[in-house]
Amino acid sequence: MNFKYFLPAVSIVLLLGAACQKLKENPLSSLTPSSYFKTQSDLDASVSAIYTELTPDYAFGFTTRMTSCFGADDLTTDPGLNKGDMRAFDELNGASNNASLFNQWQGPWNAVYQANNVLTNYKTVPTQTPSELLAVNQSIGQAYFLRAFSYYYLVRVFGPIPDITTVLPVSDQPPRDSVSTIYATIVSDLQQAASLLPVSFPGQPGRATSGAARSLLADVYLTMTGWPLNQTSYYAQAAAEADSVITSGTYSLEPDFNTVFTTNNGPESIFALQFNVTAGVPERSYGSSSVPLDESGLDGSGGWDDYYPEINFYLTTPKCYRSYCTYYDTLKLLNTTTKTFTLVPWNSPLTHAGHPYYKKFRHGLVTGGIGDGVNETSSAILSINPSTNKAMDFIRYPMVLLDYAEADDMASGSPSAADYSAFNLVRARAGLPNLTPGLSQTAFRDSVVQERAWEFAGESGMRWFDIVRLQILPQIIAARSSLENPINTSNLLSTRYIAPIPLQDMNNDPKWVQNTGY
Amino acid sequence: MKKCLLLFLLALSLLGASAQDQTVRGKVTDEYGKPLAGATVTIKGTNLTTTTDEKGNFQLNTGNSIKPVFTISFVGYESFDYTYKGKSGFSVQLHQDAKTLGDVIVVGYGVQRKRDVTGATSEVKAEQIVKKPIVRVEEALQGTVPGVTVQSVNGMPGAGLAVRIRGTASINNNNDPLYVIDGQIGGDISTISPNDIESIEVLKDASATAIYGSRGSTGVVIITTKLGKEGKARIDINPWVKKEEIAKELPIMNAYQFAIATNAQYATTGQPAAFTAAQIQTFQTTDKGTNWQKAIQDKPWVQNYQISVSGGSNDLKYIVSYLHLDQPGLILNQWFRTDIARANFLIKASDRLSLQFNLTGSLPHNRNTQYQGDITDPFAEAYAWDPTSPIKDANGNFILESQYAALGINPVAQETNGLNDNSSTNIEASGILTYRIIKGLTFTSNNSYSNTSNTNRQFYGPGTSTYLASPSNGYALVDNSTGHGFQNSNYFTYKGVWGDHELTVTALYEQSMGTSYNNQSRSANLSTYGLGYWNLGLGAVQTTTSGSAPGYSSQALQSYMGRVEYKFKDKYLLNGTIRDDGTSVLTQKYSVFPSAAVGWIVSKENFLAGSQTISFLKLRASYGVTGNQTVGPYSTIPTVGVGGVENATGYPYNGNLSPVSVYTPLSTVPSTSLKWERNNQTDVGIDAALLHGVISFTADYYYRKVTDLLYNRTAPEYDGGGNVQVNLGSLYNKGFEFDLGATPVSTRNFKWTTNGILSINRNKLLTLNGLDNVITNNIGSAQTGASILKVGMPLGEFYGYKFLGTWKTSEAAQAALYGNIPGDSKYFDVLGTHNINTTDDRIPIGNGAPKYSFSWSNDLSLGNFSLTMLFYGTQGGQIFSGTFPYTYGGLGDARNATNVGILNVWTPTHQTDVPTFSPSSNNTINSSRWVFDGSYIKLKNIALSYHLPQALIGPAVKNLEVYVSGQNLFTITKYPGYDPEVTNMTNGITQGLETGIIPNPRSYTFGIRAGF
Repeated sequence: MNFKYFLPAVSIVLLLGAACQKLKENPLSSLTPSSYFKTQSDLDASVSAIYTELTPDYAFGFTTRMTSCFGADDLTTDPGLNKGDMRAFDELNGASNNASLFNQWQGPWNAVYQANNVLTNYKTVPTQTPSELLAVNQSIGQAYFLRAFSYYYLVRVFGPIPDITTVLPVSDQPPRDSVSTIYATIVSDLQQAASLLPVSFPGQPGRATSGAARSLLADVYLTMTGWPLNQTSYYAQAAAEADSVITSGTYSLEPDFNTVFTTNNGPESIFALQFNVTAGVPERSYGSSSVPLDESGLDGSGGWDDYYPEINFYLTTPKCYRSYCTYYDTLKLLNTTTKTFTLVPWNSPLTHAGHPYYKKFRHGLVTGGIGDGVNETSSAILSINPSTNKAMDFIRYPMVLLDYAEADDMASGSPSAADYSAFNLVRARAGLPNLTPGLSQTAFRDSVVQERAWEFAGESGMRWFDIVRLQILPQIIAARSSLENPINTSNLLSTRYIAPIPLQDMNNDPKWVQNTGY
Repeated sequence: MKKCLLLFLLALSLLGASAQDQTVRGKVTDEYGKPLAGATVTIKGTNLTTTTDEKGNFQLNTGNSIKPVFTISFVGYESFDYTYKGKSGFSVQLHQDAKTLGDVIVVGYGVQRKRDVTGATSEVKAEQIVKKPIVRVEEALQGTVPGVTVQSVNGMPGAGLAVRIRGTASINNNNDPLYVIDGQIGGDISTISPNDIESIEVLKDASATAIYGSRGSTGVVIITTKLGKEGKARIDINPWVKKEEIAKELPIMNAYQFAIATNAQYATTGQPAAFTAAQIQTFQTTDKGTNWQKAIQDKPWVQNYQISVSGGSNDLKYIVSYLHLDQPGLILNQWFRTDIARANFLIKASDRLSLQFNLTGSLPHNRNTQYQGDITDPFAEAYAWDPTSPIKDANGNFILESQYAALGINPVAQETNGLNDNSSTNIEASGILTYRIIKGLTFTSNNSYSNTSNTNRQFYGPGTSTYLASPSNGYALVDNSTGHGFQNSNYFTYKGVWGDHELTVTALYEQSMGTSYNNQSRSANLSTYGLGYWNLGLGAVQTTTSGSAPGYSSQALQSYMGRVEYKFKDKYLLNGTIRDDGTSVLTQKYSVFPSAAVGWIVSKENFLAGSQTISFLKLRASYGVTGNQTVGPYSTIPTVGVGGVENATGYPYNGNLSPVSVYTPLSTVPSTSLKWERNNQTDVGIDAALLHGVISFTADYYYRKVTDLLYNRTAPEYDGGGNVQVNLGSLYNKGFEFDLGATPVSTRNFKWTTNGILSINRNKLLTLNGLDNVITNNIGSAQTGASILKVGMPLGEFYGYKFLGTWKTSEAAQAALYGNIPGDSKYFDVLGTHNINTTDDRIPIGNGAPKYSFSWSNDLSLGNFSLTMLFYGTQGGQIFSGTFPYTYGGLGDARNATNVGILNVWTPTHQTDVPTFSPSSNNTINSSRWVFDGSYIKLKNIALSYHLPQALIGPAVKNLEVYVSGQNLFTITKYPGYDPEVTNMTNGITQGLETGIIPNPRSYTFGIRAGF
């Protein structure tokens, strides 16, 4: 080869080589946000991802979603066994490395993250036709609702948290924002959701609706009137939102209180997470979780003894049809040799914990008289299953009624006839007589709060969050039986209203300061 | 010299007197015109020969040939054939030979004279490699290179070794060095037969490795494969066989002792006795039970056969070799087999152009070599399994479970019935073109292509733990992965000499890419298990996924590199390099990696010129920046997952009345500013030879600071909680390394050379993005939460409770404060809270990184016998054993104690520090009780060989050598486990963690080396 040809030839080879070597990446086997969100079905699947973050055990599918709420009087747990995580909060002695507490952090945050994905990227989905626009609006309406729903939960459990409304790269380290900033986002999201969402999604009761958004907004406003914001001006808005739900006529009380806990998506269900055992999405706080350790089914399955009410909470509940449905106070102890059951009262020395239990969470979804949680007769337990198909109600119509009664009473200075009538609807269904007429503003409010405790006993921390917003922990502790798990009195009580930020994510950012007292 | 010259002239005159033909004169120089003294000039086809004088001149009688061909050769230069054109007084230039010059070492994109090298480099030659019966290339580096720690971390057949050049520089990325095989960067050394290697160069400091830019930070190992030598075809064979065995077993109880201990355990924890007195009596007398450690073991013969044919002429050199290795494992039903074939050709196409082609293919196969160390591995189950249980029942069927070994399955059954097989095909081809454009200017283009494919087949049917858990879990799967890559390196080298100035300039453009594909078919709940993994259609549940890797993955690198080497007066050396690497995997594509080095050959100065003591002395210093590019493709691109199809669960919008929907969650969005780890290294060194080479000495000090450490961490939950890589902090490694060699005795019949190497390394984390520490959770190791990254401490720090022995009866009151009773484990209460818990009371309890490693090698030859031995050891590293806790039982982990140590358990009348049985995991939690000194000294290799005298073997055989050798014949260590060298180490933080790893074998080798 001649030199004079050689150099040009080499140069050409080099240039060609340089030209064909692309450094841009194209991950052919993965979807990316830039290549996704082309169609409505992409958007649907991304919205489903938000719901999907909330259903697992490590989110809201299991009893651990209430870990930080065990300081309330409607929740306690076994003095021993592997219940240390929930017991710590029952004793007002939680710590940041509590593994169950982490579920309360992980599930809602992951849902916020997926909601942010939808709300950041949906704009590339076509909205040319009215039906396309409607579909997109309904999708993002759900994303707004679920983000608010998750933030509302997070801010009440953990206090100040970052206010993130877009997808952040992991290199960003957001600071903890004030509680009021979070509430502003929640209110704005719920207002968006209320305007974008339809009244119902036929055949898909699991989706958030405008009624769910308004109901939640009413509850949010009511919470904003209490600790830590104490913005009492929101009573009126809480009452107005609740009133709009009531007057819409979309929801009504399930006539039989028990049916609420044995069927799915009844007339009073406003927002419930959906579960399907065979599809691998089990609800696991119904069934075994609430069954005494002392009980066993004939098939050998046993109770987990995770959660039950405190003794004095049970004892002070007025006896009525609702309390009959709520509490399980006669235990069935299996004699393994004779395969027969001995019925003993809850405080029998034959029981290891000496506590009443919850009946309403035992059965799960009842089909043809058979519960998919505990399958039992009045005198025998056939089996105790930890996985149920029971939809988990987070917003029931009684909440709206009682929110309305309390908010309107507090906004207008004294209870109105409408307040009484909303309240008495709940009492009547419970099997209780009407409330004493002519109560003062605060006496009426206290009655409502007490009614909420009995109506929603054991349900996802409803009671605990009332205790927090009203700052009534000293009274709750005073009423506590000495037989309960001992409270760690070395912790300053005022620090117990919020839980510590879980250690793992505290460690992500050295600039974060842990909640006082932890 | 003068006398020789006189004799030479005399001889010439005598010749001249007798011959009538001509005397030709000529001159031999190097390519820069410098005369070469001592070059050999031969007339081809005759035995007429002479050598050049000090001025490079020669004269030679040409005999009776008319057009004689002069073959001119000189060590270190390519020999040259000059056809006499009838004119005396011609001049011949010889070109330096890149490969064969003993004095020259390969430095990447070129060669350098060893004495001119300014970086810290070390070399291992073929002669040293073939002395050991090794199956892995890394073994050749163990104990032979200062600053390099080579640890055989797993005794499974075919397992790679952990090679650390100057400490651990990366947290949870691979710390292995970059291997460059015949210019192919990032080559797979498992595809190389050790016998095919001509030389291995280890580049340690940044001035040497910076030419590899973003891939150089963990050091570079350059491997050059062999070529034939000029001359007749030569056949070499090297068969050897090796008997292997496990050198040490754990002290495990026999059936009798186990029965007594289990009864004691049950009594302590309030359970009825497990064994009756009659049963115990039987165990003592007739039924000795099963020694599971022995039952799982094999003592295999390893066979290795290597043959090569090599040879060549001036224009063509070649070698064709083939290797077959059959290496059964130390446990049942485990093996590694490979065949490796290679063909290398070098063609000198013209005076200017040479072409080299290397082609190699390997076919590794293995079975059940997937064990990375876990309590459920059969090897680990074996030392924790119930000794009272027989292996099989009276009908010859395995007894799968035992009440007294509650986890897992009969390990012999699992190992026999479970199959995890791999078979691979690897092909690599490269072509290297070298063209001499003008005097001093050369162009080289090195192009390589590789193609790999691997099929993993698994079968877990009846008689395996998978099937035992639930018969519907039984499965067969086939996972296929294929990949290909190419690399194209083009560089110009210019070398010029002007008086005292010598300059070499290299300019490189390089591009490379690699793509891989993966798919997996899995079939579960098979209708029949009789067909193994050969019919996936039999499964009731069949899934097809991308399997163990993404369905498609590709990455590319595009680089520019420049290097200047300058030498003044042959003693002042200056070297500078710069590389710009553009990568596909980062958002910011290009990064620059510079380096500079200086050297001073002091011995060339006048004041040392006449020294009888110091024959050679060089001082050198360097600084450079390199990167670690272990960031996978698409690491900075967020992805959208797909769920709700097949096995993944979505959301059921109507509860149990609806199926789950498809859902597509967004993964955590990685940092777009993700960067390479940057390694800034300073090195100062000295090379010396004393007493004319009787003693040689090399020493180096280095300080390498690594910034932007990559760490694979769990993102905050508000970022989706996924696993992503982040740049986390910085650390340093600093150390000394010494290499002292001597030849104390060198006579005609007896020669002794000895070499000692000492490497000292200190490692410290400097920053962690403002955090004080990161507790690492189960990254690449079976031991959960056993490590911590802590600012101010080295990597590999163990994390756990400090074990203080047991609570004694006299301490009952204090023990009660902790809810303990006498006999329970006593741990240090760091914060004094009377509550031992994970947030307050865990502290650093040891470190897995050795403080120094050393080796001592000796070669003795006496007549035809030669004896070589290599001692190797490390000091100062500790081992956190995950093996021992599981031999001490405890109901918390549902196991029964098997260790004889439990016979010394605490009792009120015998208050020892072996805690009493506990129904919780309190005894087995991560604590200093399981941390041991991991220091050791091993006789890694000793070999005795006998070279048969030529007279005995006849002219057909060129050489014949027989040898016996032993590996790991003894180990001096305080470590009570199997082998202090093995660990679960996969990265910087898991150093020193060990759970159930198969130890290195002790072995005895018999072999022959013959050349025909």
